[in-house]
Amino acid sequence: MLDTQKPPRKKRWTPPFDPRFPNQNQTRNCYQNFLEYQRCVKTMSRRGKNSEPCEYYFRVYNSLCPTSWVQHWNEQIKDGTFAGKI
Amino acid sequence: MTHQTHAYHMVNPSPWPLTGALSAFLLTSGLIMWFHFYYTLLLATGLLASAMTMFQWWRDVVREGTYQGHHTPPVQKGLRYGMVLFIISEIFFFAGFFWAFYHSSLAPTPQTGGHWPPTGILPLNPMEVPLLNTAVLLASGVTITWAHHSLMEANRKESAQALLMTIALGAYFTYLQMSEYSETSFTISDGIYGSTFFMATGFHGLHVIIGTTFLATCYIRQQMYHFTSSHHFGFEAAAWYWHFVDVVWLFLYISIYWWGS
Repeated sequence: MLDTQKPPRKKRWTPPFDPRFPNQNQTRNCYQNFLEYQRCVKTMSRRGKNSEPCEYYFRVYNSLCPTSWVQHWNEQIKDGTFAGKI
Repeated sequence: MTHQTHAYHMVNPSPWPLTGALSAFLLTSGLIMWFHFYYTLLLATGLLASAMTMFQWWRDVVREGTYQGHHTPPVQKGLRYGMVLFIISEIFFFAGFFWAFYHSSLAPTPQTGGHWPPTGILPLNPMEVPLLNTAVLLASGVTITWAHHSLMEANRKESAQALLMTIALGAYFTYLQMSEYSETSFTISDGIYGSTFFMATGFHGLHVIIGTTFLATCYIRQQMYHFTSSHHFGFEAAAWYWHFVDVVWLFLYISIYWWGS
């Protein structure tokens, strides 16, 4: 794992409160951050910039999402069958 | 006491409720045999049995009412209650499919890509044939009202004409909808969009066919002089049912075809 993909402090880090998703069902929070990471990496590499700022989204979705979802979505991206707009 | 001293109809014993129940059993078990084992005989027998039950039961109702005079005002009131309650039950039936559609489309899941219509679905253009279908059904609502008023004014020629036009519009809707079904780029098995679209519009189409059949029997009865200008509940029931079918389409059009695209 890259240094920037690790959380900032040595204490256990969790994503901060996001007022866009205030309720108990956090599915959209997980999914939105996954999408933002993919879009961020795609845009930054298209502009030839370093994708380090995108790692915030990486930490958030890895913290929030079930691992099986992340694996499933990454496989779909590789197969070209991912349904989200990246 | 050799005659009844009340205005109600004590119906003679009839085998049709039993044959109806048996045909329902054949239909349900027939569906299972077809779905799981590709075996169609039970289902075909059930369809035949239920069609015969309906024909004979309703033929008997016409005999009791039109030919034997059993449909006095209180009896007719009961028939009106019956039709209203039936239509209310159909409203609840469709409410289920609308619930399913809104449940999935108001909060689209990651499986759809987080948006509606889902990724990969090309919805039909609501401004093309679906809009024509809306116009056809609205026009049929006008023609059936015309037919009713002509009937109440004892105008045989216009009432027959207007009823025929209503039936023609209903058939035209069915033809247009069937051609739309062959034009969609998606099928019923294409995710939640396909399921909600075809369950809701499919059952609506079936109800249009049922309503058109009901109107056609009214046309035949009218030609056989069954209706009077003041007593024609069969026609009114068909008209209520037809308006219900029209209203369901309006909800379908606005929800699934227009908002859902």
